[in-house]
Amino acid sequence: MTETSAAALAERWRRIPKAVPFGAAALIQLTLLALMVGDRIQILRDGTEVTLQTQLLDPRDFLRGDYVTLDYDISQLPAGPLKDRPAGARDPIVFVKLAPNRDGIYQAISVHTEAVAVKSPEVLIRGRVASGANCGPKGDLFCDKLLIRYDLEGYFVPEGEGKKLEQLRNERKLMVVAAVAPTGRAAIKRLLVDGKPVYDEPWF
Amino acid sequence: MFERAYRQRLEADLARWEADGVITPTDLAGIRSTLPPLSPGVNIPVVVSIVGGLLIAAAFLAFVAAHWAELARLSRFAILAAGIVVANGFAASFARAGRTVLADLCATVGSIIFGAGIALVGQMYNLGGDFAGGMLLWASGALAAAALTDSRGALAVALTAGVIWSTMRIYDAHDLPHLPFVAFWLIAGGLALTWKSRVAAHLVALASIPWWITTALQLDVGGVSFVLADGAALLLGGGLALAAAPWQRARDAGAILEAYGAFSLAIVAALVVATSHDFVEFPAGVASHPVWASACGVAGAILAFGAAAMTRRVGTALAGVAIGLVLIGAAVWTPPAQSQAGEPWLVYAIELCAMLCLVASGILDGARPRIIAGWIGIAGVIASITWAVQGSLLRRSAFLAVAGAVAVALAAVLNRLLPRNDK
Repeated sequence: MTETSAAALAERWRRIPKAVPFGAAALIQLTLLALMVGDRIQILRDGTEVTLQTQLLDPRDFLRGDYVTLDYDISQLPAGPLKDRPAGARDPIVFVKLAPNRDGIYQAISVHTEAVAVKSPEVLIRGRVASGANCGPKGDLFCDKLLIRYDLEGYFVPEGEGKKLEQLRNERKLMVVAAVAPTGRAAIKRLLVDGKPVYDEPWF
Repeated sequence: MFERAYRQRLEADLARWEADGVITPTDLAGIRSTLPPLSPGVNIPVVVSIVGGLLIAAAFLAFVAAHWAELARLSRFAILAAGIVVANGFAASFARAGRTVLADLCATVGSIIFGAGIALVGQMYNLGGDFAGGMLLWASGALAAAALTDSRGALAVALTAGVIWSTMRIYDAHDLPHLPFVAFWLIAGGLALTWKSRVAAHLVALASIPWWITTALQLDVGGVSFVLADGAALLLGGGLALAAAPWQRARDAGAILEAYGAFSLAIVAALVVATSHDFVEFPAGVASHPVWASACGVAGAILAFGAAAMTRRVGTALAGVAIGLVLIGAAVWTPPAQSQAGEPWLVYAIELCAMLCLVASGILDGARPRIIAGWIGIAGVIASITWAVQGSLLRRSAFLAVAGAVAVALAAVLNRLLPRNDK
């Protein structure tokens, strides 16, 4: 019975013109790429803009070809009330409440394991704990300090621009404007040098 | 490829049987008429055309790469999108002409270009942080393409990307396997069953091994050998159960799975012996033998004995015994549960018995991979006993001599008890 119905199904499948399944395969793959692009465009277009101060990094880690690694003032944070609480994963997702200081640069206020309500101009940004979720006897508790990654740490720059950015970053002149979606997901929108835009991320 | 070799052997046998009078010309014609036509395989013109196509593709890629930095983002994206469309267009054209190998190749190229597209979008939007997410997307797109186009190459791409995705995600789960990969793997297994394809079944079986090894290595557990033994047990037991199913396609896939399971079990047996000396201290509270892993191992043994009950085959039951013995050896003698007093003679004996059972099960069931795996396991266990750097070599030589004498005595007893085949 099962074999018969399978054979009937296979026969129907064989009757479909060959262009259809191959076309569908190409369509699915292109749709997935378009969704990926659309997702990023939505964050860049609709996300709340937050300005973040970049930090000095070990120069050996900074430049990988045309790929620049950035670190922020909000990357290393005290765990606060999360200390000694179960992390739930090796690299757990956390939400960081940000608020702007007098200069308009966003600073971290608190770290949470769940999304919490924020009032404007506060912004909630989602990150992943890269280090600091391995304390306690079993190595599954939050430590007192957390290293958090926001998916804003990588930036592809035009060839030859990396060294210049490295110098500016070391002088703390380099800042990043990130777009943060209501879900907390963020994307780099603009690079600022001395408060002036130098690179603007186009949608396409 | 294998089908062509089989047909050549069959034709030679048929000619011999006809000449010997075993079958009549009518029987010969009847047998030939039941065979489906061979698909046009890879002949020399096809090989030359593949090389030509690859050279043109390489020239195009080099040309694009030379001007990549000067191209606008949208142009780069358009080139890759066009690559996907053109590759699948060629694939459809070859499929319509019955050139299944070339169609498969083009669909595979399409899936590889899809991966390049994901990398490009990641670069465009600075998404370097979520490499695993990109791999999942690549695996999903390639798996969808494989399901729609019957492409084994796209399935290979999907499984490779899927294993990398899972390997990166496994690290994040404390003491648990990355279960989403299991669902992904089952879908791939379903495709292999639907296609009745040996190549696909090999790919699916192969994909389970790096996943299980990574799972064992990434877990916060002491007994890596134990978790590996459980995986090998499940693969062998699952393969035996599938091979006992009433459907031919399930039996074919099961035979392939059990072959991979048998080789895995043999390697694990040697590993258990080699690591039974590692008196490693683990922090308090660290699980040595996770419950889920134990459940997988026990399930593997149950499946093997279930298959033996269904098929009434002693060989399959012996494979179940081999699984059980390897599991017992791994459960008792992997750190930190192992006894630290003296040489683990019993685990040596248990693992040797397990591999002997595997060889015997292969002989009784006519399963050559199990026989070879069993012999490799015996060689591996003896090598591990002999070459482990701790303990007294003299005592081990005495142990091996006793084990050899027991085996010879057992052979003599079996020779008297079992009916002889010689006339």
